[in-house]
Amino acid sequence: MTTLSKLSNRSNKHRGRASAGDVRESGRWAGPWFILPFVAFYVLFLIWPSLAMLGYSFTDRSLAGGPVSWVGIENWVEALGDPYMWRSLWITLLFTLLSVPPLVALGAALAILTDHARRLGWFLRMAFFAPFVLPVAVMTMIWTWLYQPGFGLINQYLQMMGLQEVEWLGNEGTVLIAIVIATVWWTVGFNFVLYLAALQGIPRETYEAAGIDGAGAWRKIRHITIPQLKRTTGLVTVLQVIASLRIFDQAYLMGGDFGGPNFASRTFIHYIYETGFVNFRLGLGSAMAWVLTITMVLVSVLLFRFFTRDGR
Amino acid sequence: MRDAKYTHRSERWLPRRGFIAASGLGLTGAALGITGCGPADAVLDDRIPLRQWNPFSAGDGDRIIQMHQRYQDEHPDIDFRAVTFEWGPPFYTKVAMSAAGGRAADVAVLHMSRLASMAPGRLLDPIDTDTLADFGIDENVLLPHVWNQGFHDGELYGLAFDTHPHIHYFNPEICEEAGLLDSDGRLVETHGVEEYLDMCRAVQEVTGDLALSLDTTYSWPFFWTMYRQQDAELTFFEDDFQIDDEAALNAFAVIHQLTEEGLTPRFTNNPGATAVLDNGQAGLLFQGNWEIPSFEDSGLPYSAGEAPDLFGNRRTRADAHCFVLPHQDDRDPERTRASLAYMAWMLRNSLIWSEGGGHIPAYQPVVESDEYQALEPHVHYAGAAENAEFEPDVWFSGSSSRLQSEAAAALNGLHTGSSNPEQALEQFKASLRTLVTTPSPV
Amino acid sequence: MATTSTPPRTTHAQSGRRHGPAPRPRTRLGRVNPGITILYVVAIAAALVWLVPLLWAIATSIKPEAETTLMPLRWLTASPTVEHYVAVIQRGELLRWILNSLVVSTLVTVLTLVLCVLAAYGFSKCEFPGRGWAFALVIGGILIPPQVVVVPQFVLMTQLNLVNTYWGVALPQVVMPMFVLIFKRFFDAIPRDYEDAARMDGAGHIRILLNVVLPLSRPIMAAVGIFAFIGAWNNFLWPLIVIQDPDVMTVPVGLATVSSDHGLQYAPSMAAAVIGALPLLIVFLLFQRQIVTGVAGAGIKG
Repeated sequence: MTTLSKLSNRSNKHRGRASAGDVRESGRWAGPWFILPFVAFYVLFLIWPSLAMLGYSFTDRSLAGGPVSWVGIENWVEALGDPYMWRSLWITLLFTLLSVPPLVALGAALAILTDHARRLGWFLRMAFFAPFVLPVAVMTMIWTWLYQPGFGLINQYLQMMGLQEVEWLGNEGTVLIAIVIATVWWTVGFNFVLYLAALQGIPRETYEAAGIDGAGAWRKIRHITIPQLKRTTGLVTVLQVIASLRIFDQAYLMGGDFGGPNFASRTFIHYIYETGFVNFRLGLGSAMAWVLTITMVLVSVLLFRFFTRDGR
Repeated sequence: MRDAKYTHRSERWLPRRGFIAASGLGLTGAALGITGCGPADAVLDDRIPLRQWNPFSAGDGDRIIQMHQRYQDEHPDIDFRAVTFEWGPPFYTKVAMSAAGGRAADVAVLHMSRLASMAPGRLLDPIDTDTLADFGIDENVLLPHVWNQGFHDGELYGLAFDTHPHIHYFNPEICEEAGLLDSDGRLVETHGVEEYLDMCRAVQEVTGDLALSLDTTYSWPFFWTMYRQQDAELTFFEDDFQIDDEAALNAFAVIHQLTEEGLTPRFTNNPGATAVLDNGQAGLLFQGNWEIPSFEDSGLPYSAGEAPDLFGNRRTRADAHCFVLPHQDDRDPERTRASLAYMAWMLRNSLIWSEGGGHIPAYQPVVESDEYQALEPHVHYAGAAENAEFEPDVWFSGSSSRLQSEAAAALNGLHTGSSNPEQALEQFKASLRTLVTTPSPV
Repeated sequence: MATTSTPPRTTHAQSGRRHGPAPRPRTRLGRVNPGITILYVVAIAAALVWLVPLLWAIATSIKPEAETTLMPLRWLTASPTVEHYVAVIQRGELLRWILNSLVVSTLVTVLTLVLCVLAAYGFSKCEFPGRGWAFALVIGGILIPPQVVVVPQFVLMTQLNLVNTYWGVALPQVVMPMFVLIFKRFFDAIPRDYEDAARMDGAGHIRILLNVVLPLSRPIMAAVGIFAFIGAWNNFLWPLIVIQDPDVMTVPVGLATVSSDHGLQYAPSMAAAVIGALPLLIVFLLFQRQIVTGVAGAGIKG
């Protein structure tokens, strides 16, 4: 739930206000007290760990404890030279590429559908958003059961349609797709709600004006709704890319401890988890976590640039 | 219109929501109060709490529950609770992480082969042998090499509960037809590779298909059995290792030969390996004793004996389940004593464990008991405990370890017929080199 | 941004005769339009497809175990049973995990709201030296994904001796720079006159916050609170790392890591899944409208 697209507006407004010259003597030192509790937590649980992680990445710190010694850039060299790390990064990117388009497009489509089918509003909102509130383990239990070879519901329907049974989670080629499908079902509800909120912000008059001009529903969607949703689409896409890059939970639970057949669904965070906690190598895991952080910051900044330029 | 309707609705809902929020807060407060923000131990209970973690499911799971039931009946003064986790890396990870956090369970069950990788002394606390002796457990009631496996730097960290070796299963009907049974219905003894291959060929004549079933996705045990039968050592140093090339090649050659002649399946996993014997495709199976319950359940004719003698003896790859004390920051002497008493009780009552699970009890008085001696086919492979060959003592070896998966990868080509022994050795040595140069995290 | 822009480009060649979803039904009741019918059929079909996994889980959970793998699969069983639900409840673990999740999520929600509201108020309504810098620093935290700092966070928890405790699970989850941003943005939009009036009456910052700002912020607090609660309830990676003791586990971690002693049985595991899903589904059904309007109000819609 991170949003970047607002950052730019913020500071302007802010400056305007400060220059209004309404600094009050009485409250001059109140501000720091208000922000102190948050900042204390923020520093202790986010800033300090991030810096500590940089420190760990130059040591051989182990989950098993024991003496910690400085190893220079050894962890970085090992991480950057590890083909499995790159493979897990690629799987993470692939997951993002596969999951973002359907999550954004379906979110918009379902929201437009719901916005038009007003009388089913309650029912449709429930159907599309409810999966989002399921705990991930519940979601993966249900989907693993649906994907089951032999007696899973999906394979039964495939066979009824005269198609071949697919070993969804047991096959290197399909495991990631299976996870993407389950993820779309599970989380599209969030984007759906964002779009729904945006649709409610489109003034009715715009449609009515178009109606008078004789525009049909399809044309209204194409020429009013979709352009009006452009900013939302930018935001949803950015949020979704960032969320998808953080994939771990469902891939870990559906692909198993080893990350699917032949590691085909081992995501980057899974690999960090494995390196740090399963193989005890906190130092190496820290170096890898920095690689991911840097990647994600770069992607975020690029996307932010792209969409803010596009949105203006 | 719409707006008015919804305002009305939310007004109606507001008190209810307030109520829900309030009760949520109330419950939370209550829970925090009761539990003191930590695990809910029986605060108002003067029984000694004892928490045990294990990775046992299926047949082993049923047996451990049965044993724990009896333990609880006999120990009303202990508030005992056992938790079963998914077997494999998640279980070891959980034990390690809770020990790193200093708030682990009182007792856990590990594989003996994973002891070195669990950083004894840091993630595991030592077991006091004097206290253990008070409860009747010392080096005299366990086989020496099984007892010694649990030591690290002169301290006992893992108390063996059983030995679970790889054994040689056979289908008596097929072997009878192949003329391989003696007058007692036991498989005739073979000596050396050639005699064993002849036995396999005779079985193949009868089945018309395969002879020996194996788990080809996990054939480290077969390799280690053959390697150790030749007295060969696999030693690891700081950043190097020593392997006996000739012995390894001999072992690989056997696998190669079995594949070439179509005596073993080219690809089977653990359940598959059992199924191949069950359905009569093969007459022999080299597998861990943990398959005993599934054969008992299937009701099909089967029997088992010790590993075949391929290189002059019947040594076999084995592992053991052992009890450990995961590290606790504030170790309570009373609970620790109760933990040791629990371990001792489990050892003394391990007949149930072996009867159902097929494991060989570590506690010798049980092995020598009349009840155990009457168990078929258990008693026929009980000698495997003496011939047990444990894993190399390095941090990357052991049950579901990296060493085993690397070995499986190297041997895979031999099983499918895509590589020869020389290539397999090269691949195996390359992965050993990677493992040994990886900085040890323990 | 301007919502009235982009008039429809009306090209005469394609006026009105395209198929697809037709005008909205709210135009006139009673006027039956084939377009509307299609729209509703599509909507209902999509919703049903979306509900299949949940319905299938429920259908499985009330079957006798032997029927779960019977081919061909049937949706309805002739002999529905609640035995699996009874068994799951009797095992007790799941209820314990639900209670744990409730405790953790409530802690997170309350702490998050208190910390973020205070901070946002400080940034929005108080002037002090270094405010711009402090704010930029806090907002910069949005760029650090919490998932990548789990390694040092776990080490920190071992040092604070909070592994396997509720506080250990909850505390790192309350740091949400995003929510500070949302609240600040909302507070910025509260007209200055309101505060000034209160200040005339001699109110200090605390009274202004309690009597002026908070009453106006109810919807946004509800929205942020709900999302904080759902987020904490469904968080997986951090609880997986910081809790190993089943007595302290939250619902997702407990369901995912503790093995039921009976091996893999589908009906009981679906019953457990349904029970595990229930608490939040109920919250969602009660707060549906708040979630949708809350998102709009929170300005997340951009």
